[in-house]
Amino acid sequence: MDRRDELRHFLGKHAGTKVLPEQALKEFLRESGLPAPASLYLPLGAPFPDFSHLSYPLVAKVFSPKIPSKTDVGGIRFGLKDAAAAASACYDLMSIKDVQGVILEEQAQPGTEVIVGGIIDPQFGPVVMFGLGGIFVELFHDVAFALAPLTRDDAFHLMEQLQSYRLLTGYRGAAPCDRETLADILVTISELMATGLLEEIDLNPVALYPHGAMILDAKMLVALSSPHVSSP
Amino acid sequence: MKELTQLFFPKSVALIGASPSEEKLGGIALRNLLGMKGKVYPVNPRYDEMLGIRCYPSIREVPGVVDLSVLMRPADEVPGILAEHAGKARFVLIVSAGFAEIGAAALQDEVIRIGREEKLRLVGPNCLGIFNPYHRLDTLFLPHGCLKRPKRGNVAVVSQSGALMMCILDAIRMANIGISKAINYGNAVDLDAPEVYEYLAGDDTTAVVVSYLESVGDGRRFLEAARFLSERKPLLILKAGKGEGGRAAAFSHTGRLAGDYQVFHSLMNQFGLREVAGFDDLLDAAKAVSYQRPAPGNRVCIVTNGGGSGVLAADECARQGLELPDLPEEVRIGLRQAFPSFYTIANPIDLTGQVRIEDYPKALHAVRDQYDGFLVIALTGVPGVTLGLGEYLRTFKEAVGKPLVVHIAQGGVAPRLIRQLAQAGIPVYRSPERAVLGLAALLGSRGGWHG
Repeated sequence: MDRRDELRHFLGKHAGTKVLPEQALKEFLRESGLPAPASLYLPLGAPFPDFSHLSYPLVAKVFSPKIPSKTDVGGIRFGLKDAAAAASACYDLMSIKDVQGVILEEQAQPGTEVIVGGIIDPQFGPVVMFGLGGIFVELFHDVAFALAPLTRDDAFHLMEQLQSYRLLTGYRGAAPCDRETLADILVTISELMATGLLEEIDLNPVALYPHGAMILDAKMLVALSSPHVSSP
Repeated sequence: MKELTQLFFPKSVALIGASPSEEKLGGIALRNLLGMKGKVYPVNPRYDEMLGIRCYPSIREVPGVVDLSVLMRPADEVPGILAEHAGKARFVLIVSAGFAEIGAAALQDEVIRIGREEKLRLVGPNCLGIFNPYHRLDTLFLPHGCLKRPKRGNVAVVSQSGALMMCILDAIRMANIGISKAINYGNAVDLDAPEVYEYLAGDDTTAVVVSYLESVGDGRRFLEAARFLSERKPLLILKAGKGEGGRAAAFSHTGRLAGDYQVFHSLMNQFGLREVAGFDDLLDAAKAVSYQRPAPGNRVCIVTNGGGSGVLAADECARQGLELPDLPEEVRIGLRQAFPSFYTIANPIDLTGQVRIEDYPKALHAVRDQYDGFLVIALTGVPGVTLGLGEYLRTFKEAVGKPLVVHIAQGGVAPRLIRQLAQAGIPVYRSPERAVLGLAALLGSRGGWHG
């Protein structure tokens, strides 16, 4: 199956939802070959499933389309070291207003945080965005865009557009980030955007490591119509 | 592409709304059009003749099919007049304003529909049209007394805005460079920048294209055409509307960060296109690439007779991504022996206020093979800088064939020297920074991904 068929199939399973649930989206990204943490979804009121296949520490996060920022409602618990801690965190989070369920996932190591996104630009159609996380994006708006779909070369050139690019290559003795994995993510996201089936994607943040990377949070908005169909 | 030849070199032109009065726009435009190589047909139902030529009541009575009809009537009359053009014109240039730019989208849509149905190619509306000195075609409703036209040359102007086209034409004339073609296409209901870019790519009189944009319509079509052109000749783009701000109510972080200009700017980089920061930069760069051929590389050597000016130029080189590598050892030793001990033998080479005119060519020839481009700074306030510099630089440029720009300041021989250098195809700038901008336009310092 190509990207378009895979995405169609995935969107078909969630027909009628414009904003896709985070855990389903991460599973889809994993199936697309991208690094997203192993996770489990616990719907409100359902019995506790077996999560022994997840390795500790875990992180528990609320899920609700009505909660735009999990942090603002105290909806994230980090560093859950065993089953008891995880169960107790889930129990607490379920009591937050509007919560529909809790996502339990393996807690990723801290790394260099970047943001990878995609939008449909009114003039240029599907474009991919790349930026460094935290203050670089918030304060300095140090982001760059490129037309989707990207070649691997395009992905590396996109990285180099950032003023803060040197932070990825081992600045002041830090180990360089795994730019090959980052390129995989950029290319795959660009291919998903180029299908024209999506309006926006946000992988924010993605933690980069010397070897590998991890998509820590993901959002996706499905297009109502698909005017920008790619021609690969 | 051949099609646009009819637009830029029409054999016959009708002017709808022509007037005998030079007080009226239709009168000014008629006078400007009459210089053209080809037939001109004034159209106005109230006259049988004007300025000694026959005048026609409507386009329908004009003999044959005109290559270009210039329509200068109020916006609400435009659809009716356009419909009369069926089978009578190839291009219709709608000068009239009062369409989408003031919110009258329905009227503009009607114009588009009629154009399609009657198979008319449309330019505008809301535009000044075309100036082609090689055909003496001038559809601008601006008296020569108010806007003197630039001479013939190799710079093409493609402007979305009429006001900016006027400003660019005037600045080009003042900078003593010439025009190959200029077009202001306004609301772009049909003819848009990409098609003009493709035409200019194959236009032998055009060596450089300067383009002023506010929006680009079909963005992917624009990028492809701009890349096609820029692979063949320099394309300098000035984009207005650089404000920040994505979509406030965006779903994602990405949406909030994706301001129109941020996306545009990134994609220009992705496609290896050259964007200039502002109006002065556009002219500085245009002057350089109009005078000389761009060349690869980004290693610059500065030869100055003023330390401070050299430092300012070096600072700007850093901002423009130009490198100033140190002088090679053997060059340094040679110049150390040739020059007085108080000269600075480094990059910049500082010949100081006690410069002797022959020191310039001596320094330049010593570094000619090691660098890609040269900036000469000559402050004429000292007696050592004489008119002889013009001849030295002309000879150097011809012998070396690499980009060479000059900054001249102060009085004395400056005006005569500037004229001499302009004749030799060496652009002169009034500040060190602007000279560096000119040099940067000639060097591949900002080469894009695919360039």
